[in-house]
Amino acid sequence: MSKAQYPSMLTKFESKSSRAKGIAFHPKRRVPSSLNKPWILVSLHSSTIQLWDYRMGTLIDRFEEHDGPVRGIDFHKTQPLFVSGGDDYKIKVWSYQTRRCLFTLNGHLDYVRTVFFHHELPWILSSSDDQTIRIWNWQNRSLICTMTGHNHYTMCAQFHPKEDLIVSASLDQSVRVWDISGLRKKHSAPTSMTFEDQMARANANQADMFGNTDAVVKFVLEGHDRGVNWVAFHPTLPLIVSAGDDRLVKLWRMSDTKAWEVDTCRGHFQNVSACLFHPHQDLIISVGEDKTVRVWDLNKRTSVQSFKRENDRFWVIAAHPEINLFAAGHDNGVMVFKLERERPASAVYQNQLFYITKEKHVRSFDFAKSTESPSMLSLKKLGSPWMPPRTLSYNPAERAILVTSPADGGTYELVSLPRDASGAVEPTDTKRGSGTSAVFVARNRFAVFNQASQQIDIKDLTNSTTKTIKPPHGTVDVYFGGTGCLLLITATSVVLYDIQQKKQLAELAVNGVKYVVWSTDGLHAALLSKHNVTIVTKSLHQVSTLHETIRIKSATWDDAGVLLYSTLNHIKYTLMNGDNGIVRTLDQTVYLVRVKGRNIYCLDRAAKPKVLAIDPTEYRFKLALVKRDYDEMLNIIRNSSLVGQSIISYLQKKGYPEIALQFVQDPQTRFELAIECGNLDVAVEMARQLDRPKLWQRLSTEALAHGNHQVVEMTYQKLRNFDKLSFLYLATGDQEKLQRMAKIAEHRGDMTARFQNALYLGDVENRIEMFKEVDLYPLAYMTAKSHGLEEECQAILEASGLTEDQIALVSTGKALAPPKPVVPTYKTNWPVKGTSTSVFEKALLGQAEGGDDDAAPYTNGYGEDNLIEADDGAARDQMAEADEDEDAAGWDMGNDVEAEVEDEFVNVEAAETGAGSSEADLWARNSPIAADHVAGGSFESAMQLLNRQVGAVNFKPLESRFQEVYQASKTFLPATAGMPPLVNYVRRTVNETDSRKLLPLIPRDLESIVAGELQAGKTQMRTNKLEDGIQSFKKILHLLLVNAVSSQGEVSEAKTVIRTAAQYALAMSIELERRSIVKSSTDLASFPEDVKKRALELSAYFTIPEMDPSHVTLALFSAMNLAHKNKQLSSALSFANSLIEKGTNAKFKESARKIKTVCERNPNDAVEIEFDQFAEFEICGASHTPIYGGSPSAVCPYDGTKYHSTYKGTVCKVCEVAQIGAPASGLRLFV
Amino acid sequence: MDPYSAEGELVNIHSAFHQGQYSQVLDFDTSSFSSSNAVPARLLKLRAQIALEQYDEVIADVSGEESTPDFAAAKVLAEYLKDPWDSEEAVETAKKLAGSKGDNLGVQLLAGTVLADSGNVEEALALLSKHQGSLDAVAMIVQIHLQQNRTDLAAKEALNARKWAQDSLLVNVAESWVGLRQGGEKYQSAYYVFEELAQAPATQAPLTLVGQAISEIHLGRLPEAEAALQQALDINAQDADALANLMVLNTLAGKDAAEVMGRLEMARPKHQALLDLKEKTEEFEAARAKYTPKFEA
Repeated sequence: MSKAQYPSMLTKFESKSSRAKGIAFHPKRRVPSSLNKPWILVSLHSSTIQLWDYRMGTLIDRFEEHDGPVRGIDFHKTQPLFVSGGDDYKIKVWSYQTRRCLFTLNGHLDYVRTVFFHHELPWILSSSDDQTIRIWNWQNRSLICTMTGHNHYTMCAQFHPKEDLIVSASLDQSVRVWDISGLRKKHSAPTSMTFEDQMARANANQADMFGNTDAVVKFVLEGHDRGVNWVAFHPTLPLIVSAGDDRLVKLWRMSDTKAWEVDTCRGHFQNVSACLFHPHQDLIISVGEDKTVRVWDLNKRTSVQSFKRENDRFWVIAAHPEINLFAAGHDNGVMVFKLERERPASAVYQNQLFYITKEKHVRSFDFAKSTESPSMLSLKKLGSPWMPPRTLSYNPAERAILVTSPADGGTYELVSLPRDASGAVEPTDTKRGSGTSAVFVARNRFAVFNQASQQIDIKDLTNSTTKTIKPPHGTVDVYFGGTGCLLLITATSVVLYDIQQKKQLAELAVNGVKYVVWSTDGLHAALLSKHNVTIVTKSLHQVSTLHETIRIKSATWDDAGVLLYSTLNHIKYTLMNGDNGIVRTLDQTVYLVRVKGRNIYCLDRAAKPKVLAIDPTEYRFKLALVKRDYDEMLNIIRNSSLVGQSIISYLQKKGYPEIALQFVQDPQTRFELAIECGNLDVAVEMARQLDRPKLWQRLSTEALAHGNHQVVEMTYQKLRNFDKLSFLYLATGDQEKLQRMAKIAEHRGDMTARFQNALYLGDVENRIEMFKEVDLYPLAYMTAKSHGLEEECQAILEASGLTEDQIALVSTGKALAPPKPVVPTYKTNWPVKGTSTSVFEKALLGQAEGGDDDAAPYTNGYGEDNLIEADDGAARDQMAEADEDEDAAGWDMGNDVEAEVEDEFVNVEAAETGAGSSEADLWARNSPIAADHVAGGSFESAMQLLNRQVGAVNFKPLESRFQEVYQASKTFLPATAGMPPLVNYVRRTVNETDSRKLLPLIPRDLESIVAGELQAGKTQMRTNKLEDGIQSFKKILHLLLVNAVSSQGEVSEAKTVIRTAAQYALAMSIELERRSIVKSSTDLASFPEDVKKRALELSAYFTIPEMDPSHVTLALFSAMNLAHKNKQLSSALSFANSLIEKGTNAKFKESARKIKTVCERNPNDAVEIEFDQFAEFEICGASHTPIYGGSPSAVCPYDGTKYHSTYKGTVCKVCEVAQIGAPASGLRLFV
Repeated sequence: MDPYSAEGELVNIHSAFHQGQYSQVLDFDTSSFSSSNAVPARLLKLRAQIALEQYDEVIADVSGEESTPDFAAAKVLAEYLKDPWDSEEAVETAKKLAGSKGDNLGVQLLAGTVLADSGNVEEALALLSKHQGSLDAVAMIVQIHLQQNRTDLAAKEALNARKWAQDSLLVNVAESWVGLRQGGEKYQSAYYVFEELAQAPATQAPLTLVGQAISEIHLGRLPEAEAALQQALDINAQDADALANLMVLNTLAGKDAAEVMGRLEMARPKHQALLDLKEKTEEFEAARAKYTPKFEA
């Protein structure tokens, strides 16, 4: 085969040594995965055995006890053992843990060629130039079977992986298959034989007394014309492969009774040293002295690929039993390699992953639903059968994929994906060409890079070249570089290249980049090389870089800008600032494609999508910390168990001791952190718990620095530091305590202290007293003298038996006294150092800031309300909606307006030239909704519609709404310079192109009104901001009058909202009228009788409009209190009863019960008011008086507010738009 | 060789002009251009100056060179745009130029602009239809058809151009103009074209960013549209078209648009959007006056 195929063999590790004759991979065990080692043993011609870590590329150990070349080597499958056999005739068993040879098996009479452990029995199989094959029991270190039959060197002997068979190869040109079931039977049968018997039998090698032989030749396979060097069983099929000095690799098949030659693989032009079956694929791999590794198709026996070394003959090959890895030994060492890339080609677009399976089918995976699509396409014909595609690039605009394959020096294929996945169909209409890499660079362009010719072609979708670029010398790969750009990868740098301008925009020196991963927002990219991750901005400025000792496999961005990457055995994260850590460990290598919440989506080496659970808490927390997003941090702290030393030390290191403090339980650490962040309260608390002098000492220093002398005082007390304490009291001016200190000093008999305190206190008598006590009369005298205490002087003189003349006095000067404190500064701490409460701490402490807002502004005795009840009310509102659906059925009174409207426009269908009608005109034609006419700029017809639908006559209040709707209707697209911008109309029917169905987008949909104004209005009700509230509710009425909704269901919801808003507006206007006549007085005695009566009535009417129960409760409570205060005990009783029955607030109910008890004693009203608690009535929207059932009335056709019939024909007070009692067909909001 | 083809001298300056990178056009070094391209290159620079509203500079620059029809046309356009409400003279001159020098591309484009904008649409179309393979003319024809609300004719014109000019920049852009009228899937295609231009560092300009934002508004992706407009305003805080569309966007999103409107009034008091709104205020008053609401005293 040609050398062009060479790139698909991927060398993972190479060692340099003398000739390698034997190789063994460390076996993989599933549990625990920590026991899986990336190790190979290499036995050398120089007598050394090497143990390598091929992943890290390090030599772990050397074992040197053999004398002469070591040819055979094998790891034990489960125990920490290995076996070797050498030209010293010896077989040695070693422990790689204790790193020494455990024992030696002697017996062979010539070079030992191969040694192998049995997969379950404690046996070792060896072959030797002494023409024998031997089986040894390594547990009792004995030879249990010697197989003779070959009549030349036996070069190789291997156990069958499952059955009791052995296959051997010999320079006698034969391959033999041996049956050892007899041996197993003998050794597993219960035995009562003596040791001597066993020995005798083991050595007999003859039929025993039952006619069993230990090992018998089953088949002799003859076909090689020269000596056979190697032979191996197939792991699952009854096949054997052998390699010989006749330069042939032969394939044999066997049944129970016979074995025969199947075919020969021809190609080696020198002796073939070794061969084996691929553990998972239908391939044979052989190595030879012609310096080649050759791969053969097992089914066709044709060569698939080959690899040639320049100078080294190959001697041996081994396969890893699980992983797709091989090792070959040659004249100068060992190479570990893969036959093919295992990274599945894939691309992510929004919620979809497109990838190519092992069968070369294109599939997609939906992240949102976690479902895998059926195959969409089969790419069987792409590249060669044994070569998987390398990359996949997806173009959402064209729903096309671009796939590259390394076959034939690199090829690409452009294929359209079918709309629906309907199975692995062969693609029709593919475009192909040759190139090393190919990526989409725009919706209709892709770039093809050819490494050999160092050229990039920009091609359009018909595969014709539109532009050619010469990349910088040494470019090895190209990646998408943001719109209109490419990232060109060379061995030592990455270049950002603008395709259109054909120039380099930026260059960054970074070595060996292999993959580029863009963040979802396209602002950052991660450049992955073998051991480094470099994060860059889209203009190729380096943001951070990190190094990994383990190979980096893949990466993907979190939506928040955290990069998650996988190494061979971990998933890790890195923040933009380079902080990184481990997210989880991996049992097997995976390729990350997406991270969403707690799930990581990846492809495994079998190209199957997998979802791995991760805990993103740590990195999210760190990210929040970096962004100073305290809410998020708080949220994380509250909702997850984020503790542990790592996060604490992280926080401390990053300069956030106050946050770390939140996590720590250990008092000592807490104390340290508290001191560090100056949180004295916590520090004091912890110091109390630990109570150690050293801590008090540190606390006192810190507290002193803060000016917190109360803590300083306490620490000095704890430390019994009297001197300092006294001085502190002096400094703070705390005379009382200073006196106490003096007493204590006296009590302790500490004269110095006493003197000091007396000095601080300016207590002369005490000082003199003390001097006298210690017999320092001269000093006592001097003190007395200087303070002018003559009597005392005399007394001292007398006591010492002296007279004044006998003393020579020095001049004493004026007596000094400490100044007296003017202000009691000791009472509070000095505000020296601001308390360092971070935003974060505040947030943590003041957990219910929202609550404060609610509590404050009650001015009229509403007391409190709670949010839960408000929610309750909302829920009830929604239940009420169902009932109103019935009413809605009556609203649809026909499309009579449409016909008329249409007449107003000229018919302009398809005149050959001249202007057409604008989309705005179409809107008006397409819709009977006033808002659509407003958006179309047809204000006049909009007003007509509103007039007919809801009797609207006063449009002034709607002006801003009209303007808003109109203003939002079109965009202005600048086109040719000098010409006015092109006007385009914004549609709510985004996907529609039928001009008869186009409708404008109306700003402020129902949802936003409910969430905005309605919520605001109700809050204003609750917080008693009625003037604002009435504005909010009127705004709702105006917003909904000129609006459109998206479903019939929303129509009824909108009508409920209209009704609710009208009722609230009415209720608020009633209450506001009451306040306007009596202000905020609750005792009305001073008002004239008619005002008093009206006020009481209005407070009663306030309870009538339909509001949320919690708000009715407020009205009732206010009415009850007012009535009660003004001796309206009958009314008060009725409100109290309603409150007890319907009230939603326990506290109010409580006071209602009390008032009820009081009122029941004398249920009479002082003033007769017009309020019949037992009658059904509504309140007139204009006069605010009752309209009893049956009496004549008129209704606002828009909001449904009732009026006395005298108001008919005037403008509604609530909506301020519609005419009361006007004929109306009902508001249209939906087409 | 066609000077506008991929290898021609004019391609980059021409693209820059149509990507709205007017200052790059002005800074373009054209001294090395062959003599046959000198006039078109200078004309492009003049047009860029006109786009930047430097009318007086243009008039001064070309005065004395009116004998070259291209420059005469540039002067007419500058005079016209300087004050379009008092421009009968300019329109007359444009008509004369169209009559006498109608074969000149510069005249077609610039005098055509004057005619189209002053309401002489038929004449403008007639003049522009004389062009010989000029995409600039095609783009203008498309735009005029769209202003006439004849999306069908505009689409036809663009389709014809694609047949001979394949996917050159102007064809893509003109198709996007049409697409924004047609809607449906065309919104997304238009978005791709504008986004491709707007997000590539080499071609980013307020013009293309506004185009991107508008496609996003029509696709209902308001936050993304806002981001694009913000990018445009970061480049030029006074960009009137970006402000006008930001005003629309804010209104759509239920945000207060008054502040942006104020900025627009500062930046370009006679922007179409503002004039239109003023007109509508009057219309509202007129329509409202037909009703006589009765208020209860």
